[in-house]
Amino acid sequence: MVYVFSVDCSIRNMNDSAKRSLQRLLRRIPFRMLKTSLDKWERLTAEQRRAIDLTPTKRDLIQEILSLCEENKWTEKHIAELQMIYVAENPDQDMWHTYQLVDPDDDARSVDLIQFKEQFKSHFREVQRNVFVKIRKHTDEAVWIRIAWGEGLSPPNNLRASYVVHHLQTPFVYVSSLSSKHKPLLLQALAFSTRHRGIKDANLSGRKLTALRDLLMRQYQHVFTTKFPSPLKEQNQSPLIEKEQSGPSAKRHRMAIEAFGEGALPAIQTAVYKLETKFKDPTNETMTERDEPFRCAVKFTSTNLLESLRSCASSGIASTPLTPLLSSIPLKGRNYFVITDNAPSACSQMSQTKN
Amino acid sequence: MDRSQISVGRATLGSAVRSRRKSRSQRQSMRSVFGVASRLGLTPALTTQRLNTSRKPYKSQTITEKINPEHLALLVKRQWKLSYVTPLYQFRHTQMTTYARRLSAFIAAEKQKGLAVEVGELQDTFKVCFSVLQGMSEAKDDPEAVLIQVKSRPMFAKQDEPQKTVWSGWLACVDGNPEYLNSLPTDFTCLPLFGSNGAEGLSSLVKSWFQINFDCCFGPLDIGETSLEWLAALWTNCNGKSNIQSLKMHWTIPAVHALHVEYTVSADDAWALWCSIRGRSLEESNGTEEEGCIDIEEVKSFMQGLMGHFYRHFRLDLSTGNLNQISTALGSATLNDRIKVSTSIYLISTLRLLTELALLRLPI
Repeated sequence: MVYVFSVDCSIRNMNDSAKRSLQRLLRRIPFRMLKTSLDKWERLTAEQRRAIDLTPTKRDLIQEILSLCEENKWTEKHIAELQMIYVAENPDQDMWHTYQLVDPDDDARSVDLIQFKEQFKSHFREVQRNVFVKIRKHTDEAVWIRIAWGEGLSPPNNLRASYVVHHLQTPFVYVSSLSSKHKPLLLQALAFSTRHRGIKDANLSGRKLTALRDLLMRQYQHVFTTKFPSPLKEQNQSPLIEKEQSGPSAKRHRMAIEAFGEGALPAIQTAVYKLETKFKDPTNETMTERDEPFRCAVKFTSTNLLESLRSCASSGIASTPLTPLLSSIPLKGRNYFVITDNAPSACSQMSQTKN
Repeated sequence: MDRSQISVGRATLGSAVRSRRKSRSQRQSMRSVFGVASRLGLTPALTTQRLNTSRKPYKSQTITEKINPEHLALLVKRQWKLSYVTPLYQFRHTQMTTYARRLSAFIAAEKQKGLAVEVGELQDTFKVCFSVLQGMSEAKDDPEAVLIQVKSRPMFAKQDEPQKTVWSGWLACVDGNPEYLNSLPTDFTCLPLFGSNGAEGLSSLVKSWFQINFDCCFGPLDIGETSLEWLAALWTNCNGKSNIQSLKMHWTIPAVHALHVEYTVSADDAWALWCSIRGRSLEESNGTEEEGCIDIEEVKSFMQGLMGHFYRHFRLDLSTGNLNQISTALGSATLNDRIKVSTSIYLISTLRLLTELALLRLPI
């Protein structure tokens, strides 16, 4: 572990500050998840664990655990571990932003976990000393990184740690709780340690990490599938259904499936479009002749946006074939778009801008 | 249109004769008497009108001289839940202190009965304050608005800690239909618009008290989509004088998982679109229109323009869903009867529209 902060803190101070951090952390974790997180943490003896089991209320539980802090000699390091376990078990709480690694070096594909860890930490060591970095491999092969940032001489702030999730050999990195001040350094470290020459904003963000990942993994695999099979062919249909379905509704349904896919879709919750296109209405000459773009923003929100849009397409609320603006969400794996007129054509086309 | 079909209301329930004929200066469209009346279960003799199809644009009024600034601070920048109220029987503006005392006693009695007041932790006694909101009424027939505040102190607070307002409400009538107001018998006061802010429990207690003491009844105001569209247009129209910053609209589209669409247009562009529609209609009209009046057709064109621009990009028809919120820097309104006026200069104008809506919703 790379961990550099003021070495003249006394052991007692360390313990006090660990206790305070622990208390704050335990308060934040919901009661029902505390025991699972503590189990995974594996820093309690069997006896202590049994004692914890008997405490019925959260307040008592917290007191019980705090009393063990000194006995077990827990430090800030250990508390950070617990925090990381909790966040990894419950990734759908914070706001995650996705970045994409670009321009890989020749040996990018052969980077393994040990190499990655070494490179990442050494990069930080060279560039910024006052950080506390912890890297851990999760059960689903994802690499989790927790970074606590320190300012000047003060110790790293354990309450506002940034988290990074990355699957090696994929181009995507998910980041949460990163301030703009620390962003360049972190992105640089990531590019460096994965042997890529660049990293850019992937324009995909949301609370549900699992949904973001699923969307991109699908998109990643999507490259290899050419077309979704028509759902009608696979069913044994009665002549009545066939008769009913053979019409515009069947066509809409098919187009909806082609655009979004079948079955359960990743639970992306929002999509934001910034429109800077001209207002083109044949019935309104004044506005159509106007040179300036009509600036507006549209935000779509739903508990599962992709399934919602798919059902809008099949029911006819959204006209099919779907506009590329909407079908780009699953196709390009992003949910933030800036739309401008890039060609003097009747319908405005999409231009992607790098942020 | 069907002006010939206006009938002078016949006596109903053996009490007042009410005539609802509007003055000639306002263009109205009357729905078929029987259609609406039978739907609402009213006797066919009464007419029910639609909202004004033509309105004067919002006038910016500095009302800070007219209304007590403390009252104004209470009214502005706060979100109010709206209801309509039928005319109050024997309500006297001179009895404010008596009413305050009686309402406090009522709240205390209900609390003792064990009715949950849901105000928050352990509130002690409630003190009620009634005041007359002078300066809100526009027309000479409008009764003065009334403000009600319920103040309290948490149970374990110190004695000298000041009580703070936990609930506030008001009754108002801004530019109400003078013929209707004059047709009411003398003992009735018409303050058809009721706004409340605070715990729902206290709101229902206050409403019950009014119902018991003044023989009135409350009901949901039901700000419809049309009124929301009116507000969108009226507020955008104000952009010339007061920057609206942006026009934000919220739709809910029915789908497997409800789809929420938040469509925000920059102030300048909304204003440009509005002007293009206004300019056009002013040219087309042959001068019969009252100077400056905004017509429902313009409002509809404005909304169509906005929805059309959306459709051209997303090919998703917003009219399949429900418009349920409008907001600008000047205020916001939602379909479930909540309104917020963010600046005092348009307070009266907004209340005027809402008073009209309340009068329309009155059951009789």
